[in-house]
Order: sequence, then C-alpha cells, then structure tokens
Amino acid sequence: MLTHAVLVNILTDKLQKNLQTLKKALPAEDILSYAFTTADGTACALLYADGMVNKQLLGDLIARPLSKLSLRSAQQSDGNSAQQSYGKTSGKNGSANNETAQQNGKTSGGDKQTDNPIVTIIERSALFPELKRKQKIADMVKEVLDGNTLLLIDGVAEGFIVGAKFLPVRAVIEPPTDVAVKGPREGFIEDVKTNMALVRKRLKTPDLRFESLRVGKRSDTMVSVCYLEGTANAEVKDEILRRLNEIEIDNVPDSSYIAALLSPRKHSLFHSVGTTEKPDIFAAKLSEGRVGILVDGSPIALTLPFLLTENLQSSEDYFISPFTATIFRFLRLISLFIAILLPAFYVSAQLFKMQLLPLGLMLTIASSVRELPLSPSLEMFVVLLLLEVLKEASIRMPKYVGMSLSVVGALVLGETAVSAGFLSTPAIIIVAFSGICLYTIPNFVETGSVLRWLFLLVAGSLGPLGIVLLSAFLIVYLLTSDAFGAPLLAPFSPLVPRDLRDTIVKYDMLSLRYRPKTLRSDNVTRLRKKTAKGEAQKGQSSE
Amino acid sequence: MQFLSSATPKTNDAICGRQIAFTAAFILPALKLLEAPALLARYAAGDLLLPALLHFLLQTAVLAVVLFALSRSKYTLLERLQRAFGKGAAVFYIAFAAFFLFVAILPLLDLEKFTYAVFFDTAPTTFSFAFFFFFAAFFCSKGLTAIGRCADICLFLFLFPFLALTGMSLAETDFSNLLPLFGTKFGDTMSAFTYTTPHFSDVILLLPLLANYRPKQGDTKKILIGYGAGGICTLFFLAVFFGVYSSIAPREHYAFAKIAQYFPALDVLGRIDLVFVYLLSIVLFFHACLPLQYATDFISRTFLERHKKYVAAAVCFCAFLFVLFFNRRYNAIYALISGKLYPVFWFIADMVPLFLLFLPKYTPKTNGKNTSKKAVKKEAQRGIAQ
Repeated sequence: MLTHAVLVNILTDKLQKNLQTLKKALPAEDILSYAFTTADGTACALLYADGMVNKQLLGDLIARPLSKLSLRSAQQSDGNSAQQSYGKTSGKNGSANNETAQQNGKTSGGDKQTDNPIVTIIERSALFPELKRKQKIADMVKEVLDGNTLLLIDGVAEGFIVGAKFLPVRAVIEPPTDVAVKGPREGFIEDVKTNMALVRKRLKTPDLRFESLRVGKRSDTMVSVCYLEGTANAEVKDEILRRLNEIEIDNVPDSSYIAALLSPRKHSLFHSVGTTEKPDIFAAKLSEGRVGILVDGSPIALTLPFLLTENLQSSEDYFISPFTATIFRFLRLISLFIAILLPAFYVSAQLFKMQLLPLGLMLTIASSVRELPLSPSLEMFVVLLLLEVLKEASIRMPKYVGMSLSVVGALVLGETAVSAGFLSTPAIIIVAFSGICLYTIPNFVETGSVLRWLFLLVAGSLGPLGIVLLSAFLIVYLLTSDAFGAPLLAPFSPLVPRDLRDTIVKYDMLSLRYRPKTLRSDNVTRLRKKTAKGEAQKGQSSE
Repeated sequence: MQFLSSATPKTNDAICGRQIAFTAAFILPALKLLEAPALLARYAAGDLLLPALLHFLLQTAVLAVVLFALSRSKYTLLERLQRAFGKGAAVFYIAFAAFFLFVAILPLLDLEKFTYAVFFDTAPTTFSFAFFFFFAAFFCSKGLTAIGRCADICLFLFLFPFLALTGMSLAETDFSNLLPLFGTKFGDTMSAFTYTTPHFSDVILLLPLLANYRPKQGDTKKILIGYGAGGICTLFFLAVFFGVYSSIAPREHYAFAKIAQYFPALDVLGRIDLVFVYLLSIVLFFHACLPLQYATDFISRTFLERHKKYVAAAVCFCAFLFVLFFNRRYNAIYALISGKLYPVFWFIADMVPLFLLFLPKYTPKTNGKNTSKKAVKKEAQRGIAQ
C-alpha cells in the first residue's frame, strides 16, 4: 500500500534517491525502470508500467536523442540565454512544447517552474507533443499508473511525463446491443479518449466541452462529463459534476456504477440514467440539451436527464420516414404491454375473469389445460422460469454449446413437457410471445422482466384487480419520480404538448424545431430555415 | 410536534392551472359513471340529463365564485386563511379533514361493489379490495403534485377508453328513449337532483387544489373549460346510457362496465371492452383517493408535517376499517348519506366556498423581487417540473 509519507514528497536533484523514493511508492513488479546515460554521462531513467507504453516510441523519441545529447555542454553554452530566447525560437516543435509546459504549469497543481536550462533543453529535444513537468511524487505516481512514462534526469529536481501511453484497445465496431439497419454503425469502445474523439468527430463545435475528473480511490477511473455549452442546462451539468465529486468508491469498473451512484432513487426498478453505445445517438442527445458521461473502461455512455419515452426511440427512427417511425414506435409500445401483461392476463382470465377470452379460444384453452397437474398461475410461473433460465444460460454459455442448448430448451423441455401433460401449449406460446415482444425494447429488458413477474404474482392472487392496482401504483410511482429536474414520465405527465412530437408519434424533422422543453435547455431552437432575408442580413453584417 | 405548518406551497405540492383543469375534466367525471346514472334514471327516468345539468350549473357557479375569490390576491387561499385566522386556521383544517373522510365513504363503497362486480366472475374474498388501501396509502403519502400529474396522465387514461366505450355502445343507442323532454314530474326530477348531490359535489374536490396554487392569467378560463368538458362527457354518457338501457336503466349499476358489451365484434374478439373498463378503473382509483389524499394533507398540515407517510397510512387504515364494517350495510349507508345527509354537501361543498369571498386580499410586497425577463423565464421553466 502506498504510504502517505512517500507521496507527499517532492523530487530532489539526485536521480538515485528519486528512483528509490519512486520505487517505494510503486513497488509493483510491472513497474519497470530503464536507465541510460547521455553523451556526457548524465544519468537518466525512464519509469513506466510494463505493457502500457509504446517502448519503440520511447526508444526512438526519448532515449536515443537524449543519449546523443551532451547536457552539460549544452547547459553551459545555452545558459540563461537559452531560457530567455526560447520563447522566440522558431521551430514548431519548440513552441508547441513551450505551450505544453505553460499549460502544465497551470494543470500540475501548482508545480513550480524551474529555471534549470536542462529542462528547456529536454523540452526542446524531446519530440513528444505530450510532455508535462511534475514535481510531486503523488502526481508522478498517478501518471505512471495511468500508462504514461516518467523521465528522470540526474541533477533535475523535476520529472517529465511523456505521453507514450499505448494501451491495448479494441477496434471501433458496431455495438452488439444496438444494431442498426440504417444509419451509422460505429460504437464506443473501452478507451475514453477514443470515445471522446468519436463524439468530437460528430460535434465539431467549440461549444462541445469535456470536463474530466477522476473517480475511484483505487481504480482512479477517468470520467468525462460532456455537454454543449449554451445548450445543456447549466444547473443540471453542475449538479452532475457535484454528485460525481461527492462519490467515494474504491473501483469503477463500468459506467453502470456511475449510473447507479447518480440515480436519485437507488432502489428503483426503473432507470433514471440513459445509456447508449453509439456515438451518433450520444451526439444527438447532447444536441438536444442533455449532459453525457463517458467512463474510461466502459463502452456504454450515459446521458442525463433521462425520460422513459427514450426507451421507445431507436436511432433508426430518425433515418426513416416519420410515418414508418411512428408505426414502429406504436409497435414497440404494444409489444411492451404484451410482454409485461399478457402472461398476467392469461392467468387472471383463467382464474378470475373468463369473459376476457372469446368463447372459441376459451374452449381450446380449457381442453388443453384440462389434464394439467398445475394451477394456471403455477404453470405460467414454471414456463416463465424456464424462459428466464434459458435466457440466462444462453448469454453465459459458450457459443458452440448454444446450439445444443436451443435443442434442449426448445425441443426437449418444451415439446416433451407438453406431450407429457406437464405444461399446456397455450402457456408456452404466451410466454414465448411475451419473451420475444420484450426484446423490441432492448434497454427495458431487465425492468420488463421483473415487471412481468410482479404482474404475474398479482394476477395469480387478485386477478384483473391486481393488474389494475399494480398499474395504478406504477403510474403514481413513475409520475412522482424526477431525475435531474426532469420527470420520468414527461412529456406525458407533466404534459408538455410540444415535446410530444418525438415520443410515440414521430413528427417530421421540420416540426422538431425546438429542443425538448422538459430538458430546460438554455438554447431552445435547434432548427431554423434559412431565409433569403436572413442570408442577406448575414452577408451585410460580415461585410 | 410542529403545530400548523406554513401555508406556502411546498415543492411537492406545486400544481398548475392546466392540471386543475384536467382534474376537473378527466378525473372528476369518472365517479359519475358508476352509480349516478342508475340513480338518476331511477328518479328522473328519461329526464336524467336535467338534474345532472342543474348540478353542473350550480357547481360551475360555485367554481366561478372560488376562482374569482382566488384571482383577487397573489396569495393562495390557504395562505390567506392562515393570515386571517393565524393558528385558528387549524380548526378549518381539521373540519375539512373530517369532511373529506366523510366524502370518501360513498365512492369507496361504490368502488368496492364495482370491483367485485367487474373484476371477478368468481366469488372474491372479503379482503380482495383491501389491497386498494395499500395503493391509496402510497398515493396519499405523495404531495398534491402527484394529483396534478395524475390529472395529466388521465387525459389519456380517461379520454381514450371513454371514447372507445361510448363509441362501441353508440350502435345500440336509441336517443329517442330520452324523449319526451320534461316528461317526468318536476318533483321526481328534483328528487334525482337531491339524491345525487354527493356524486356531483365537484367543487369541494377541487378546492384543496385551488387553495394551494397561485393563479396565473388565463387559468380561470382553463379551469372553467375543463370543468365544462368533464360535464359534457358526463351528460353525453348519461344520454348514451339511457339510450341503451331505457326503462331497465335504474337496475343497471356500474353501467360503463357493460355498456359496450353488445358491440358486434366482441363475439369474435372477446370482451376487449373490459380492457378499456380497466383503464378507466385506474382513473376511478385515483378519484377515490382524492378525498383521502386531502384528509391526509390537512391533518399532516396541522399536526404531523414531517410524518405524512404515517398520517396517510392511518387515514387509509380508518377508511379500510369503515369499508370492512359497513360493506354489508351498503344500502343503509347509501340511503343515509344520499337520502338524508345531502344538505351537509350543500352547506360545505357549495356554501363554504362562498365565504372565501370575504377573506382579506393581502397584497404581497414586491420589494426586491426579481421581475426581470430572465427571472420570469426561469419561473416559467420551473412550471415544467409541476
């Protein structure tokens, strides 16, 4: 464990002592050091985490140029003049490094700028665009653990952080959870920097801001809060940043941890944070006035505030005709109700209210359940349990076993159970249909699954009354749930007529002129037709 | 224990004019579809629209008075009441809480009978309806904002099934059953009017909402239109009801649950009309919770501001006990409240609101108040959260 005493230290100008101190702070085996000398024999060392840096790059751009450099003689010849004239020196690289150094002076938490000419020479000679200077051991430890390399030089009481991070990342591919037939196919990956670039690629505006912070005492995970300045509600953004800063947790392995920690109702069945794996959706949500969160190590980005109607929306809806999109959304809504309520209604129709079924169907069902040893609710419970078990197993099971699982699940369990008179065909059909319907809204699968169980439970004990009572309960629960100033059931309740244009019914693009009022965006208009008059005015003003 | 909390509306009590209008339009008519049509048909026969219309005119007049009293000051009615009477306002609160518990009786008994008739083909257990009170306790523990938002969602939950049910029953409706107009004796029409007073005393169910919100320009019109829309829905349903059932109408209790069952497609599809009935039942549940919610609100406002959950549980438990003990004496209770205690409704629901006119106006100080455009915009944005 790192001792506080070591971390508060600052570097001395003795390399060996500094290395010892840093080794104490970073005793892990994968932290390696590489010692070399310059042409005049000045000792240097590189400290890095094995497997996290590009060694080739380090050798070519740091070790090799430095080993050919004579620091002492350069120090003498350059002297103070080098320090003074450095700002004026031509050379793109030099000025870039100067900027970096100036920036680092600001960002490194008050690290003092030294007047040592070696520092200037190093900054000039090293060909890395990302070069930071650090004095505190704690900062250096953080950077090394983050995958950067620390360069130490004898006689310099500062360390140079070289941005030679090279982490193994997966390629940008289409996310498996959010497949689109039409529209962009890129998906986020586990690297936050790549994800930020994917967002920047879509929103090439200086208004796009990233505010990064570290969460997790052990994992030190980078969390980046993204928003469009002047579009996202400032109060919401500040509230998110405040809450993120309040989080004290050991490890943040995934963005779902952040989502759970940000949720106002910790034990709620319903999500209060939106998730997406696609940068195009993420960018669209930022443009609507939402705030996004990217978490290092997670391909799933979060968006806030979240409305329940977002579950019905799909990225494809915006790339097809509004009529088709509306039909699809209705289909999803109906599928959702079928998925959650059909098993419950089937049970309550059999137990409490026969009239719910047409006579012909009732007779068919009656004939198939006549010899069953289980009560309707228990039968449905068993079939639903089978579905959930099969679903869970098929996700966890290796792919090559999946085929045999389908055979066992569909044929052995289903077909044989019916022919053995253990289960009825209608029950299996209903559960299968309900299961398929639930997958029309992938983001709602977990919640929908739990709701289906709850409705089955109340239907088995109270019949339709139970279904209606639970529905009323859920409605009241949902309409009193607010997250980051946005009610979960908005724009239906509270009713915001203008926002209804992109809920179940999807209006054409020109009708969606304004950003959702529910999100309280600071900039309301998102679409404006360019008029000839407006263009002329613009031309005049530019002249 | 804090005695008499501040009357200034809290965040979870925030409600806007539109939501009150929607409450009047989409929640209040729901209860009138249960027992009132049969009761009106029993006394007024084909003239059942007349006593209903009289009720609506009377209630609209009372509502207009309340809205006028409301528009005279920037303060809410409760704030004015508390300013005028100080701690003495607690007496009013307790009286209102007791009255709302009394108001809750008939809807709850009606709802219980309706539940057993419509949700079960089999014999339900005595405690089946008890689960409603768990929901009621949950609902009552929420602030008045919950009612406002319920009203918003009831736009869909009421209008869609209502139109579907009446639409499906129109094929069987013979509006000539309502003729001749004024065919019933005046005395019988007035009996229908008096005996249905508890069902049509609407303003009292809007009063706690009205008393808690600061009126804005145009709200008066919205609320009156909302109430008018609710009235038209009820009158239309009564006309369809009598058009379908005619002379057997007095025996057709909970008519809206079966009025559409003669729709031809149901032979093939099954009783899909029941799905609409169940949707409307959600609105009915909300309606039945209103008086309980108000009673909870007034009691917690007076004594236990921080323990509203417990107050809600206690109020709903009392209501449950009442329903449990008196459901076998349904007819007697009905005859007592509807037949003898209707003047109580006239006095409290119709006369008390008139006294609001005499409450002092109190003009708020505008010193230091931010009236800039930005502040006004922010205020408007905050309105969304309601």
